[in-house]
Amino acid sequence: MIGLIQNEMIKIFEKRASWIYIAVLIVAMVIGGFIYQRINGEADDNWRENLEAQNAQYKQEIEQTPADQDPTWLEDQIKQNERFLEKNINPTAKTNWHFMNDVVMGVTTLVTLFSVIVASAVVAAEFSDGTIKQLLIRPHKRWKILLSKYVAVLIYAVILMATLFVSGFIVGILFYGLGDFQTPFFEYTLDGQKEAVLGTQFLLKTVYFLPSLIMITTISFMLSTLFKSQAVAVGIGIFVLFVSTTLGGLIIMLAEEYTWAKFLIFPHLDLTVFAFQDNILQNITLAGSLIILSVYYIVFMIATFVYFQKRDVSI
Amino acid sequence: MTHYALEVHNLTKKIGKKLIVENVTFQIEKGEIFGLLGPNGAGKTTIIRMIVHLINRTEGKVVINGHDLDESFKEAMGEIGAIVENPEFYKYMSGMKNLKHYMRMATKDVSAERLDEVIRLVGLEQTIHQKVKTYSLGMRQRLGVAQALLHSPSILILDEPTNGLDPQGIREFRDYLRLLVNQGISVLVSSHLLSEMELMCDRFAIIEKGKLTHISQMKETVDVGSQTKQHVMFEVDNTEQAFNLLVNQNLGEERKVEAGFIYASMDRETVAKANQLFVSNGLQVYEISYLKASLEDRFLEITNKEKKEQSI
Repeated sequence: MIGLIQNEMIKIFEKRASWIYIAVLIVAMVIGGFIYQRINGEADDNWRENLEAQNAQYKQEIEQTPADQDPTWLEDQIKQNERFLEKNINPTAKTNWHFMNDVVMGVTTLVTLFSVIVASAVVAAEFSDGTIKQLLIRPHKRWKILLSKYVAVLIYAVILMATLFVSGFIVGILFYGLGDFQTPFFEYTLDGQKEAVLGTQFLLKTVYFLPSLIMITTISFMLSTLFKSQAVAVGIGIFVLFVSTTLGGLIIMLAEEYTWAKFLIFPHLDLTVFAFQDNILQNITLAGSLIILSVYYIVFMIATFVYFQKRDVSI
Repeated sequence: MTHYALEVHNLTKKIGKKLIVENVTFQIEKGEIFGLLGPNGAGKTTIIRMIVHLINRTEGKVVINGHDLDESFKEAMGEIGAIVENPEFYKYMSGMKNLKHYMRMATKDVSAERLDEVIRLVGLEQTIHQKVKTYSLGMRQRLGVAQALLHSPSILILDEPTNGLDPQGIREFRDYLRLLVNQGISVLVSSHLLSEMELMCDRFAIIEKGKLTHISQMKETVDVGSQTKQHVMFEVDNTEQAFNLLVNQNLGEERKVEAGFIYASMDRETVAKANQLFVSNGLQVYEISYLKASLEDRFLEITNKEKKEQSI
């Protein structure tokens, strides 16, 4: 089995594209570092005075707010500013952990994208190149060969993640210096603001990102096996990625109308939402999402392996 | 221990209601080159793919060197070295990396010496470190032989191995096969090219419409015994006189004159008598030759006969 996985890893890394994807992630981090610095500007040394002045202004505005308007947002802002003053944290001073939380987590979509591309090729290319014949006439059961491919794809995805995090960490330190892991900050969510700790929030988001990475990669791997077509597998894989990241709002609206929409795979693919809220789709908790994902996962894996075990290879 | 390298019993493949392969049974002895001969679409490739487990069998049993393919899959597959149609390789890797890839999949340990030996055998020492995409078809074919032989299999299975090879490549390929058989390997080879099979095989089976219709020794097919009649050609200085002599003495059958040559069907003794007759009558005999029935004639003969039998 080790030999089979080794073979698949070699085949992935003998392709130039696999190295290009890794390079793209590193370049994206460097560019991201520049842009992030540009947008945030220099740290402000007079931040205490500024925040106090800002709060004074907000209070004035609240007093002047007509009774029919809601001043919650302003009150939240005041609370946030007071918290910064109290903890003596300069909100304009960005650390590498801010960078990790904002930019690195944003680029994880690229990790999924590249994993999808590699997963789509790993079985389909053997069919289109005709090498599948030579691969399956060996003294190994088919499911083992397929499993070795799946494991190799997951290892590659992990390598992409590691590349992203290591290069993001290094770029972050180069631009902003090593900051305090425990720095509190505020996340904007659908329910308003939520105070969180930078470092833990980053780790939490990473953990919540993994199921979606695995699921979307698995879907592409399945399509690659079922349809033997790289194009179909990449296309649908990217479609799923796109739908899960951008059309989530649409599904939420659907779920308000129809219960079945809650059991679609899409709203559960982006678990990072759970890093700042406890429920999605009104009443689905993290555990609920994970159960739904697990059911999908098991069905996908069974379909992939049973089909591959049984099919006639006649290309 | 069985003395067969490969046994195939009642191999059947049904897709939907269509029978692609029907009840095919044959055995290959150790150190033998066995051919599967038949027109395109007869089911040769399906039979081979069922043996190497690329296609599921609807019915039937495959035993490789005493190991049943269903009961001891690993042992059985470990005895096989195969090229299924054109050997396809990972083009973005070198020949060496391709070979090492398959080496890691073998159940037996393949030594570095064995690897070198196989590369030398197929004559790829110079190019083995180049990427496969730079290889010619002949070179890929040789790399195909190398990957099939790497783990010292007891049976080599080759599906249309000479497709796309030039005459020189085919010749080389044949020589390899002889060399391997002399080392004790058995070979199962399929082809629709009769002339090729004639030169390559010890025994062959004819596959037609998914059925095995005939198995025979190559020798008995090609070299016909001394008692049987063969087609003979005579070249003499006076064709007309010679032909009349044959007719008068009633030597041979199916006598005819064509393009200045005399053709007749006769056994060995009659040929000698005819020669004596010509010479004693003062004719100059320039050439007497047997028109050997090639495998092609036999092939057509056998298949036609069966068609006739079927139509009756």
